[in-house]
Amino acid sequence: MTMDDVSLRAGRRTPGGGIPARRAVTRWAWRLFRSEWRQQFLILALITVAVAATILGSTVAVNNPPPKNAGFGTAQDSVSFASYNQQTQSVIAKIKNLGTVQVIENETYSIPGSINTYQLRSQAAHGPYGSPMLSLVSGHFPANANEVAVTHGVAGAFGLSVGQTWRVGGVERQVVGIVENPQSLLEEFALVVPGQVPNPAQVTALFDAPSGSLHSLGKGVQVNTPASVAQSNPLNPETISLAALVLGMLMIALVSIGGFTVLAQRRMRSIGMLESIGATDRHVRLVVSANGTVVGVVGAILGFVIGFAGWLAYRPSFEQSAHHVVGMFALPWIVVFAAMVLAVVAAYFASSRPARAVTRIPIVAALSGRPAPPRQIHRSAVPGIVIIAAAFLLLGYAGGTGGGDGNGGTPELLLGLVLLMPGLILLAPFLLSLTERVGRRAPIATRLALRDLARFRARSGSALAAISIGVLVAVIVVLASASRFSNVLDYAGPNLASNQLALHTAYAPRGSVIVHRNAKGQLVQQNVKVESATPAELAAGAAQIARGLGTQLIALKSPNANLSGTQGGRSWSGQIYVATPQLLRAFGIKASQIDPNADVLTSRPGLSGVSGLHMDFGGNGQKQGPGQNSSGGSDQHPVIQEISALPAGTSAPNTVITEYAMKKYHISAGTSDWLIVGSQTFAASQISNAQLTASTAQLSVESRNDIPSGSTIINYATLFGIIIALGVLAMSVGLVRSETSSDLRTLAATGASSYTRRALTAVTAGALGFLGALLGVGGGYIAMIGWLRSNSLNGGISALANIPIGDLMLILFGMPAIAAIVGWLFASREPAVMGRQPIE
Amino acid sequence: MSMLELRHVSKKYGQGANEVDAITDIDLAVERGSLVAIMGPSGSGKSTLLTIAGSLEEPTAGDVMIDGASLSGMSRNEKARLRRRSIGYVFQDFNLLKGLTAVENVSLPLELDGISMKKARAQGMAALEGLGLTDRADRFPDELSGGERQRVAIARAVVGERSLLLADEPSGALDSVNGESVMRMILAACHGGVAAVVVTHDAKLASWADRVVFLRDGKAVDETLPPPSPEALLESDVANPS
Repeated sequence: MTMDDVSLRAGRRTPGGGIPARRAVTRWAWRLFRSEWRQQFLILALITVAVAATILGSTVAVNNPPPKNAGFGTAQDSVSFASYNQQTQSVIAKIKNLGTVQVIENETYSIPGSINTYQLRSQAAHGPYGSPMLSLVSGHFPANANEVAVTHGVAGAFGLSVGQTWRVGGVERQVVGIVENPQSLLEEFALVVPGQVPNPAQVTALFDAPSGSLHSLGKGVQVNTPASVAQSNPLNPETISLAALVLGMLMIALVSIGGFTVLAQRRMRSIGMLESIGATDRHVRLVVSANGTVVGVVGAILGFVIGFAGWLAYRPSFEQSAHHVVGMFALPWIVVFAAMVLAVVAAYFASSRPARAVTRIPIVAALSGRPAPPRQIHRSAVPGIVIIAAAFLLLGYAGGTGGGDGNGGTPELLLGLVLLMPGLILLAPFLLSLTERVGRRAPIATRLALRDLARFRARSGSALAAISIGVLVAVIVVLASASRFSNVLDYAGPNLASNQLALHTAYAPRGSVIVHRNAKGQLVQQNVKVESATPAELAAGAAQIARGLGTQLIALKSPNANLSGTQGGRSWSGQIYVATPQLLRAFGIKASQIDPNADVLTSRPGLSGVSGLHMDFGGNGQKQGPGQNSSGGSDQHPVIQEISALPAGTSAPNTVITEYAMKKYHISAGTSDWLIVGSQTFAASQISNAQLTASTAQLSVESRNDIPSGSTIINYATLFGIIIALGVLAMSVGLVRSETSSDLRTLAATGASSYTRRALTAVTAGALGFLGALLGVGGGYIAMIGWLRSNSLNGGISALANIPIGDLMLILFGMPAIAAIVGWLFASREPAVMGRQPIE
Repeated sequence: MSMLELRHVSKKYGQGANEVDAITDIDLAVERGSLVAIMGPSGSGKSTLLTIAGSLEEPTAGDVMIDGASLSGMSRNEKARLRRRSIGYVFQDFNLLKGLTAVENVSLPLELDGISMKKARAQGMAALEGLGLTDRADRFPDELSGGERQRVAIARAVVGERSLLLADEPSGALDSVNGESVMRMILAACHGGVAAVVVTHDAKLASWADRVVFLRDGKAVDETLPPPSPEALLESDVANPS
């Protein structure tokens, strides 16, 4: 009998079994997944969380900016004018010739007592294009010149409610409704019917221009379309989400490879059985890869459900913070689809390699359940080094574009960062091999653990690569933040501490309307001619606010002097004040702490070491000091003393000129700002009351903004890196150690104590963690040095001088120590399967 | 033409100083409808002989012919196809896939061969019916007794048009009653034209065979002629219960 005879006997059967065979194998894989899902829980959880986080994160990121048609309504074109003049009228007339047009006019008004403003807006509520930009919350839209509808913010600022009358735009109007712009909830405006804005400061014409008709508007008319606005930002949130998704899935695939390998090994006998009854290599590969695909599909579906549920739960809060209404199904479906597909692809890819490996095992060996000998993988460091060098060069090229500001090198930047990852992946096995050599003289447990890591590099190498990539991302953020926030000249960070308020002199509100409380505590509006307040009146107002808050008031004197200089491509920014005794006392700075020759005191760390920083001051028409002429002067080498007790906020007096310098250079100063320092964080109601009082005193109140500090960003990034690394370790250490469970049994039989078992696991976890941290930190520095070496805007390599030692130490030593401790503790709770070779 | 023919088959494991001769220069021919038992002490190469005959392993030297077709020139996929269509394998520990029901286990070789699930199931049910397991068809292996599992394994080994049945200690994990029952089924398959090779330690079960081949240190050292009939042996057991 020949094989042809066999085929003839089989009739029309396909050689590989065709669809029935694939269906049978897939059915078995599905059954295995159902019965053994606990063994795949970590992989499943990882994929689920990644997909859910991607969906939620990308939905938030994509919907955070205003919608693409924000400012356009249903129109396809818009033209904006900064004022309403004859030219404006002429262009609008031309637009009318093209078809329907809707004109929206705005005039900006100050909200008394606040640095915020609102718009008096004339817009037809049911105009041809503007409907999506208007939404009625309550009441009705204004129907005539005597009616106005306001946003919640305006109603709150002026104490308005529907039915009240309010003088705005020089006209007494009745408030008939509460409105909002669903596309921009941040917009605070008072809506009136068209033609009711006295002096429009911004005029927008919405229209649909017929194809090829725009030239008729004449030269110099800038016509915007939603597409042109969107194109101005090539790195849109969807692109960033997709990039983050690819990175996340790469990490998941790396970690999952180990998981599926162990899973395939556990099923080796079953696979041997399948082969013994005639399954081909393709069928065997299908069993493992179908299992991977099933895990990917289930993870993707669960991730979508959880991500979508999370979005539904978060949407109300998100709308408040994003300042525009977002639809329930306003998900970035391309990203969602890509996330789900990538999850399946990553799981399939992760299971394919073990699937190929398992077909190389002889059937008899598989049937006996004997583990395959460790697969030796390439240990040369050369490919990894070459790829990292290429990444380094690409990053350098990207950093040097745009004349040294890094603008224009986005593709090279992204490619460089992406290339770093395969570079680290290729270096990981080499590093494991190197570590094994280093540990040859270590005690038995350490030696054995390091040797096992090197022996099973196929498994531990992928885990190490995943850890290093997680740490790499964190370290790049840490170093970039440290370099940016360490620039003491272009100072960045939060403006004030949460227990501080800054009071600034405000211009008299336009419209001559002020709001104050009457004797009964009710809000009343007063239409008066407002004169500019005198310094004494401003000081009295500030004092009144401070008294109301029961806090200390510090007058901030602004000298007619400032610092100037450049460091790392960035120039000095910020206001300096005078180091008055009151200010110094408020921050606990004693006179004895101050260098008698100091010209400037600062809390900006490193400012005293900046070379080329000089102090310019203007003449005051009186006596002239050293280096001063009639029009002012400059001290090229001011003596700067760093005092950390001074406040650090960008709007706080972080840099002050000493009275010694004031006298030396005859610098004058005047009080225009005040600082209020409370004993604890100010509540929103306290800030609101302060603003109310400030409104009557021509002052504005500045409170802490949402900008994070450098240390906050660095700490969160550090935490992110550590959590990712520990998560990967939690998944992979058990897998790596389970491969050597027979060794463990032998060790136990030869009298090794639980100390040895604990030490094995602890060293495995600690060593993997440390090596991952080392690779990640090294990769991060390579990336940053590559990027900054030709990037003058961001200070070149010197920007890395400020090393966040604490955070890096935490990543390099803290994380591995935690991993080792947890490994030590959990080693005693190893499952029974560790003690014997798992059969299926 | 023999259904199974081993010609000067040898198998070595390891290399250099670690090289071990598992079997050496084995010649064996099994005709259709005949049952051959392989006996020998542990490590004598019985199981190796069976795995080579079943195309699960390749010999170091010699050739294996299945129904006249040489295994040496076949690819992995062709061997897999041969196992699906011509060779049935029964293991000591049943080797049923625990994720599949009894009938799914039986019909799996057919499905792997491209037969639709419905038709494969029908043939699987027929095979189970022949072994008295119809009511156990939808049970998973964990829900079956040892004897039932081995009967399912036999059903899987004979389903379709298999012509060669290889059994490695098929009764090793069973009590004597179930062991004899299994042997009866194998014998029944032989009566249906199947050639069978059974590896066993049990001389009583081996006596059911048409021929017994003794292995020692990988070499065939003896071969018996057809023994008395099993029925006669059973009767003698009853007469002498010791």
